[in-house]
Amino acid sequence: MATTSQPPLRFTSHHNLVYRLVLSTLTGRTVHISQIRSSSPTNPGLAPHEISFLRLLDAVTNGSQMEISYTGTVLVYKPGLITGSMAGTGASGGMITYEIPSNCNRGLSYFLIPLCLLAPFAKAPMKVLFTGPGVITSSTQTGDMSVDSVRTAILPLYKQFGIWNNLELRILRRSNTGPTGRGGGGEVQLVFGHQVRLPKTLHLMNAGRIKRIRGVVYSVGVSGSNNARMIETARGILNPLSPDTYIFSDVASAPLVSAPDKTNPQAKKKIGLGFGLSLVAESSTGCLFSADVASPPSGGQAPEDVGKQCAFQLLETVSKGGCVAPAAATTMFTLMTMGSEDVGRLQVGRDVIADPNVIQLARDLSKFGAPGWGIRDAPDNGDGDVIVSIVGRGIGNSTITLKTVLANPEVSPQQFTPSQQKEPRGSPSDAVDVAGFWPSAQRQCTPRNPDVLRLSNMNSTYRSTAT
Amino acid sequence: MIVKRKRETTVASKPKTKEDSPPPVDNAQDVFRRLFEAQFEPLDLPAPTAKSTNSNEEEDEDEDDDSDMSGSEGDWDEMSDISDESNQVEVVEHTGAYMAPEDRMDKKTWKAFMSGKVLSDLDKPSTEPEPTSKKEEEEDAHDSANLKHDLALQRLLKESHLLDSADDLAPTGKNRLKALDLRMQSLGAKTSLYAQNKMPTAHRRGIKAKAESKEGRRRQEAKENGIILEKPTKVHKSSNNGRRERGVSGASVGKFSGGTLNLNKDDIARVQASGRRMMGGRGKGKTRGGRGGRGGGGRGGGRGDKR
Repeated sequence: MATTSQPPLRFTSHHNLVYRLVLSTLTGRTVHISQIRSSSPTNPGLAPHEISFLRLLDAVTNGSQMEISYTGTVLVYKPGLITGSMAGTGASGGMITYEIPSNCNRGLSYFLIPLCLLAPFAKAPMKVLFTGPGVITSSTQTGDMSVDSVRTAILPLYKQFGIWNNLELRILRRSNTGPTGRGGGGEVQLVFGHQVRLPKTLHLMNAGRIKRIRGVVYSVGVSGSNNARMIETARGILNPLSPDTYIFSDVASAPLVSAPDKTNPQAKKKIGLGFGLSLVAESSTGCLFSADVASPPSGGQAPEDVGKQCAFQLLETVSKGGCVAPAAATTMFTLMTMGSEDVGRLQVGRDVIADPNVIQLARDLSKFGAPGWGIRDAPDNGDGDVIVSIVGRGIGNSTITLKTVLANPEVSPQQFTPSQQKEPRGSPSDAVDVAGFWPSAQRQCTPRNPDVLRLSNMNSTYRSTAT
Repeated sequence: MIVKRKRETTVASKPKTKEDSPPPVDNAQDVFRRLFEAQFEPLDLPAPTAKSTNSNEEEDEDEDDDSDMSGSEGDWDEMSDISDESNQVEVVEHTGAYMAPEDRMDKKTWKAFMSGKVLSDLDKPSTEPEPTSKKEEEEDAHDSANLKHDLALQRLLKESHLLDSADDLAPTGKNRLKALDLRMQSLGAKTSLYAQNKMPTAHRRGIKAKAESKEGRRRQEAKENGIILEKPTKVHKSSNNGRRERGVSGASVGKFSGGTLNLNKDDIARVQASGRRMMGGRGKGKTRGGRGGRGGGGRGGGRGDKR
């Protein structure tokens, strides 16, 4: 491989670690990440959920190497091929069983969303069963969305990239966050059976109008009347705005996880009690906006509050404008970058692109060699949306490349050579260099929030709001 | 406020409340009325209910009365105001959160939504289930009935020779078993269930001879009459060509008996010849492998080459 001779890309800090690893796996570049929480006296180094994610990467790839320093503050990751759940690579019955340890305090979407980014480029269908005492299916206080929202608001987005067949996310057992904010007992099965050579180029510039709102309200181990109360409050707010509002109710018993003690090694305890609400608004052009609120692990919040909070959060997400919700922006941008070498356009709200995570993603992408993003104001739009033009890198799926070349010898080989040396096909005026993109973007469209501007000018030393 | 009062004055219940008011107030009202009558002309108030037919002027006067009245009277007025309002307007404001029973999704929709499928796929199935029309159902029933009749007719035609009397379509007893056997054969059974397998040899030979003679006679007659028949099927004895099939682990050369592999001359020669043949000797090369051993000349030649 030509990429092995390249020096590793160097990053610092734990911010955006997951997306750096995903991009590394997709592009095949080795990454060297240092100073991971090195200033923290109590918990230096990689956090448990980050280790879990590394193990997940190890499970779905073949030949990836990772080295973690003694203190855990330095990580070198050399990616392998994304195999998916092929027989003989740890998959039993075509399904990789992945266990998350009990000290994980992130929701399952922390693992699911990046895994879904890798899955279209895998060699075989990606089938993973998440289980173990750390699977939290609800949304969490750490800012992760619920698994329901992943299914109803993230996975449908792949259809716009031509990835739609045989995608399933089954929630076999629900679980809220455990009593101290960590651990759960859920069970979730992801089937991502549509592998493509390249995602389609996306042109999405019409946000449309909200035509329907759907939602899932769940109670785990608590009374089902909580569901009715949340639904009533949320509908009270949303129904006058959108008559086509339906919220589905799901009542589940609490999951049991083993908690051995001295007298009884087979003892089990209930974990992950609580309730929550996930709402998704769909526009007439298929744009999705989601909101998620769950009861805090400490309890003490009325279901009415949760319902009201979630409804308002949904309205806020919709009000940010554009075609993409903040939670889905990183997925969309990454897929667009991985797409064919053509300029894709996406209209996003100003607040969405001013999100520190998105800016960090743009910086990381440019470091991985992706051409810069072009940003301009959306024409005749009073909401202050911007149109982001992204040139695809045409990396796509190398395993499918090989298959295609072997099966179809007429295709010229240079069509499939890695495109790292190539110049982007976007016009120079269209593409603004990301390294300096914010100042130039600032010229074109001044962000409303001065804090964000300041944060983005400080070179990746800001504190992420999501964590 | 004045507007409200005016509306309320058209209602008959208000004076009633005044009439019902405690006696001291009533006295005061009388005092006021007397005062009014002294200034203007006498009022005729035969009954309190008659007030609904009163003119507007009187209403205005009444209002004046109200304004002059004590605070307690004003309060009563307010009360009657509210009660009137609630009687008139039956609109309830809490429609927003109200969920009518028909608003709830049925179980099918719930299942479709809550299954693991991605949401975009859900839109189509939700609209898909349409009840099949009654006409279609009728046609289906008709078709299935026709099929049943067809099958019965087919069977009748096939098995009619079994039936003594044409009246029973569902044969019983022996006939039923024979019919079943026929059906089995038509479905692909190789032989009849009732074909006799075991019998004395003489018996079997007799059957065979009889069949052969029958066939021979038929062919003879056909030949005489100039009818061309199908070619006689050759009765091949057994397909192993004289060589018995050996077990998997049996020796491919020689004869294994009594725990030893015995090779005779031919076997040894064959083994040696096969090695030489491979090296590219001349050989007759008719066949390879087992039968090659017979080519004695080839062997000789091979040896000669080696020298």
